Amino acid sequence: MSDLVLKDIRKDFGSARAVDRINLTFRHGELTALLGPSGCGKTTLLRMIAGLEEPTRGQLLLGDTDITAQPAHKRKFGMVFQNFALFPHMRVIDNVAYSLAIEGMAKDARHKRALELLDLVQLADFGQRRIGELSGGQRQRVAIARALAQEPQVFLLDEPMSALDAKLREEMQVELRMLQQRLKITTIVVTHDQREAMTMADTIIVMSNGRAEQIGPPQDIYHRPANAFVADFIGRTNFVDGTVHSGSLRIGDQVFETNSTPNFADGSAVRVAIRPEMPSLDNTMPLSNRLTARITFVRNVGSTRDIHLDTPAGPMIVEYAIGENARDFAVGDQLDVHLPPSALHIFPAASTDRAA
Amino acid sequence: MSSESIDIGLPKATEPASLAPILGKVARVVFRVLVVCFCLTPFLLVIAISLGEKIEGAAWVWGFEFTHYERFFAGADWPNSYSGIYLQKLWYSLYYALIAAPIAVVTAFPFTYFLTRLTRRAQTVWLIFLLSSLSLSEVFIVMGWDVLLSNRSGLPMVLRELGITDWMKATGWFDVAREWGLASPRDLKFKTSLFATVLTMSYLVWPYAVILLYPALSRLDNSTVEAARTMGAGPWAVMRTVILPTVRIPLIGTTLLLFVFLLGVYVSVTVFADPSQHTLAVSIYGSVRGSTLNAPFGAAQSVILLITAGLFLVLSQILVSYAEKRR
Repeated sequence: MSDLVLKDIRKDFGSARAVDRINLTFRHGELTALLGPSGCGKTTLLRMIAGLEEPTRGQLLLGDTDITAQPAHKRKFGMVFQNFALFPHMRVIDNVAYSLAIEGMAKDARHKRALELLDLVQLADFGQRRIGELSGGQRQRVAIARALAQEPQVFLLDEPMSALDAKLREEMQVELRMLQQRLKITTIVVTHDQREAMTMADTIIVMSNGRAEQIGPPQDIYHRPANAFVADFIGRTNFVDGTVHSGSLRIGDQVFETNSTPNFADGSAVRVAIRPEMPSLDNTMPLSNRLTARITFVRNVGSTRDIHLDTPAGPMIVEYAIGENARDFAVGDQLDVHLPPSALHIFPAASTDRAA
Repeated sequence: MSSESIDIGLPKATEPASLAPILGKVARVVFRVLVVCFCLTPFLLVIAISLGEKIEGAAWVWGFEFTHYERFFAGADWPNSYSGIYLQKLWYSLYYALIAAPIAVVTAFPFTYFLTRLTRRAQTVWLIFLLSSLSLSEVFIVMGWDVLLSNRSGLPMVLRELGITDWMKATGWFDVAREWGLASPRDLKFKTSLFATVLTMSYLVWPYAVILLYPALSRLDNSTVEAARTMGAGPWAVMRTVILPTVRIPLIGTTLLLFVFLLGVYVSVTVFADPSQHTLAVSIYGSVRGSTLNAPFGAAQSVILLITAGLFLVLSQILVSYAEKRR
């Protein structure tokens, strides 16, 4: 089976550029999430892959075949739409069998296949129902079964969970991922929910302003953000300002050890991203990389506490796990916070507003 | 002072609350009276007049006889002889409406579909244009088509001057046109013809068709169309399997509404239809205002036309319900 390759894809709507210079390879059998804020171009990119939009420039290749000019009905990539786009005038079984009917398959054969697919999405008894008689989760399953009926080479999902409530969304994320792994089908999911992307994807493509900001496995994206936008968009992040002097990071008057050796000019202003769970507030900590801090607020969030700190580098939130030997914190307490070298991600100061 | 003002104010404050139910009842009674006066009474009057007695050489008097209905179904000389002339007129009413209404809907549908795909601004401009065209009366529209289809200055003249008429004569198509009633022995002729009658009637109701279809088509979920495309459906398959079934009820409703409207069309038929193929609407006008001045017979024809329209609507409803159940 073939990889899907996007070469220098661009899409303009009048004078507005929705997608700019996208070069990507979607590996066969992998689930890739296109992640980004609203208006970043992720849905436009998905629609170009489906054949519903024509790229202004660039090439789409499925294996060695150039499919750039191929219309959607020739491409036949299964797609699940944000609102599921089920046909209200058809029963569930006919919705699922739609692509097979278009292919000209006999009624009995296509209904048999549709029932198999409904069984796959655990809706075997719902074939004769009308669409209006289904819940949101059931509709989503029908939409998935319908898109899979034509055995597409690429399976596309445009914000498939956005219409579901939080609990159902979590369940469906797991179910969809398990289904995709069973079928080993190249899958592209558009989402603005980073938790959804982290749960489901083999690879995440973080997009902003029509461009791919970072491409990589979820853990890489989270722990090694390529720029300040990715650090800010994925998970929670504290940003503090600093400067680089002689290859060392300086925050306020203090010099901090870092794992990376940023290649900045002497005196460059930088922004430092620190995940809230990385700093340490334990009683025992190394002498280096410490900041003095005062607690301004304590927020209990179940298994962890968010400790809001006022530091010489600015405000900071530290996520502290509740467990044995956990410290007690009170507003107004003075304490030291340790910033491990691995927790400090350094970016140019100018790059922080990329998402705006 | 303050207690005095409270004493005076309290009854005033409660007044609107006690009046509201009475005003509501009065409004309901007035509404019912208006409905009875302006909607029901004319129908009841027409039915009552249809049972009246025509005085030969004079007007008519109230009565209770079914002679006018008998005349409609069997002719004036029944039982001595039978004539189905009025049934034939009813048939032509149905015939023209059954052809013109679907033509208007079939041609208005793609136009309206593409109209809903335009920008909001373009849609507004088109809708204003179409709504303003509704202000044209049937007389004005028929006058326009009368000129366009006239033998000397209209389409036959254009075809003659372009040499198309001669070409049709040379190739045998002229004889086909004659068989279809669209040519005299020498030239193409659209007045009078079924073609001209149906064309004008369709044109007359075409803006109504667009305006009636517009809400349904503008609400059509475009993602269902795109979903069908991603599942291998080409443009025609999308139209056949998704768009048309989704808007089938508005389509049927629009066709029925135009059909009922066209049953009563008068001017187009008078100008463009052969007198032997005139409709019941023309006959009703002839009875009520024409030379015979036979209002009861005109009323009887109106009642029958009304019942026929009602029967068609009921029949359509039954057929649609049956089709929906079979889905």
